Amino acid sequence: MNNAKKIETWFDLFRILVAVLLAYVIALIILGIISDDPLYVIGQFITGPFSTFRRFGNILTTMIPIMFTGVCMCFVYAINKFNLVGEGAVNLGGCLSACVAIALSDKVPAWLLLIIVLVVGALAGMACSLIPALADQLFHADVCVVSLMMNYILLYITSYILKYRIKDPGSSITASYKWASSLKLGNLIPGTSVHFGFLIAIACVVIAAILFYKMSFGYRMRVVGMNPVFAKYIGMPVMATIILAQVIGGAFAGIGGTVQVIGMFQSYQWTSLTGYGFDGLMIAVLARKNPAFVPLSAFLIAYIRTGADIVSRTTDIPPEFVSIIQGIIIVLVAAEMFLSRFKSKLIFNSAKKALAQKEGKA
Amino acid sequence: MNVRLITSFGFAVLRLSTPLVFAALSAAICEKAGLFNMAAESMMLWGALIGVIVSGATHSALIGFLAAMAAGAVTGMLIWVATVKGKADLMLAQIAINLASSGGTIFLLFALTGEKSNSAVAIKSLALPKINIPGISAIPVVGKILSGQNILTYGAVVAAIVLSIFVFKSKTGHHIRAVGENPHAAESVGISVPKVYFLAWTIAGVLGGIGGAFMSMGYLTSFTKDMVAGRGYIGLCASSMVGGSPIGAMLCALIFGVADAVSNQLQLTNAPADLVLMMPYIVTIVVLVLLSVVKHGRATRKVKAKS
Repeated sequence: MNNAKKIETWFDLFRILVAVLLAYVIALIILGIISDDPLYVIGQFITGPFSTFRRFGNILTTMIPIMFTGVCMCFVYAINKFNLVGEGAVNLGGCLSACVAIALSDKVPAWLLLIIVLVVGALAGMACSLIPALADQLFHADVCVVSLMMNYILLYITSYILKYRIKDPGSSITASYKWASSLKLGNLIPGTSVHFGFLIAIACVVIAAILFYKMSFGYRMRVVGMNPVFAKYIGMPVMATIILAQVIGGAFAGIGGTVQVIGMFQSYQWTSLTGYGFDGLMIAVLARKNPAFVPLSAFLIAYIRTGADIVSRTTDIPPEFVSIIQGIIIVLVAAEMFLSRFKSKLIFNSAKKALAQKEGKA
Repeated sequence: MNVRLITSFGFAVLRLSTPLVFAALSAAICEKAGLFNMAAESMMLWGALIGVIVSGATHSALIGFLAAMAAGAVTGMLIWVATVKGKADLMLAQIAINLASSGGTIFLLFALTGEKSNSAVAIKSLALPKINIPGISAIPVVGKILSGQNILTYGAVVAAIVLSIFVFKSKTGHHIRAVGENPHAAESVGISVPKVYFLAWTIAGVLGGIGGAFMSMGYLTSFTKDMVAGRGYIGLCASSMVGGSPIGAMLCALIFGVADAVSNQLQLTNAPADLVLMMPYIVTIVVLVLLSVVKHGRATRKVKAKS
């Protein structure tokens, strides 16, 4: 029995690898077909992200926001509630942090302001995800629909705040007033665009992993996610766990918005949803709901993205073709039947071998 | 308000509601089958793109329109394959399809024309005709609002009525609703659940495809990047507000259309359009919560009465 479980674990990993490879190959084929110079384009796509130190830095920079939302979606996905509010939480977290940063820019020291904006981001994210969670748990409204609606509401709120409350009339683009440059997160690796937000993201991953696997809350969450009826039967506070997990997840997404805003810009400029929330879901799927694997899967996605970005800048191929790869990866990883025959065969063979051994001994 | 403003506003409401109605109907048929259609977004995107491409290639708006329907249907079938045959999680599969479609449509457009965001220059596509209704167009105000709309605006009303009859009166519609109520019970009396799902996804896809065709061959006359812009999700909400009843979904979609038109109107003035645009979503959440409370209350009362 133990053997079968081991095969299953390894098989999961194998399946994800095959799915990623398959999607990658499909992307290469598409690139090859539409490009005039397929070898050059494919080469750029595969080796481009590693070709210069600066480009490698771009991978790490791309990882930062999607690590936060990846962690967020791990919590949400672990309890099997598709609360997609991470998308809007990023916007609100970033926007409110920007407001606070502008208001307090010269009044408090930078380190204190940094802590304040991170807390503001976290609170904003928590508030965002609390609403769909409560609507779902108290009133039985579909959490997915409510959270999708929330995303638009949050988008319009933040864009209203940007346009009517904090917009800098002197700026040529739609951007807020600038905050003190001392707040902007410093450069982590010289010669690249990687900022200290990377460390904050890693810290969040560590905190999430501890919550998941070293604390009773994490255990409760996983049991509730796997079987809420059983969890209720053995006396776990199911409703509280479900709500709390989503709220914690939202906090991470909110912090992600804050870090992205003060790490990359010196003013708030988002007028549309960022897409980081949906990226987070994909990362959580690839990480098998385990926060410890979030950096790895974020790296993978960021690598593919950076490659696409390089391709789109050196040739005229639009970078959107990455989203095709992302779609294929999610479907293949999510499809239980993908390679399942192969898995059953492996388990069957190992069981047969075990049986033969037993009979041989007897 | 003067008369001219009222007519132009009413006209805009119907025009803006049309794609929302199709999205809502697409979600409604799925909801009746117990499915959750988040992918109307993709169905519409593919419908919009393929409609433009085929009508440009064949110089026939009708063939383009049919191709758009087919493109939507194929998108629906893909979801069926992934979730029923591949046993993928429904939500994940649809989010994946939405992601892939948003990029895939841009990519196909680029591969065919070299354009990245707009098909207007490269493809001479045709638009679906506008129709003047002889009797009605003579009536003041109302006639100006109702007449002269795109053929698909009238088609949306027809589709809602036909879908309503199909779902509530036909035998297949009965099967769909039975599966939606309880797939296991339906299976036990010999209804093939996978077949019903296939049918639901295909119909949903066709409706989504028509909505997309309206976007690129009526609302605008070309395909632009991400032109559906969340309308599929709005349709989903409109449908879940009324529990998947086609006529109700159409009326709810109209509410969103009004909000759209109001915000368009306000954008011309200096009012904060963002806050107006936000309203329909808040209304959706409130109505959704209220309806769920009522529905759930009824269900628990039933259980209590039995025990």
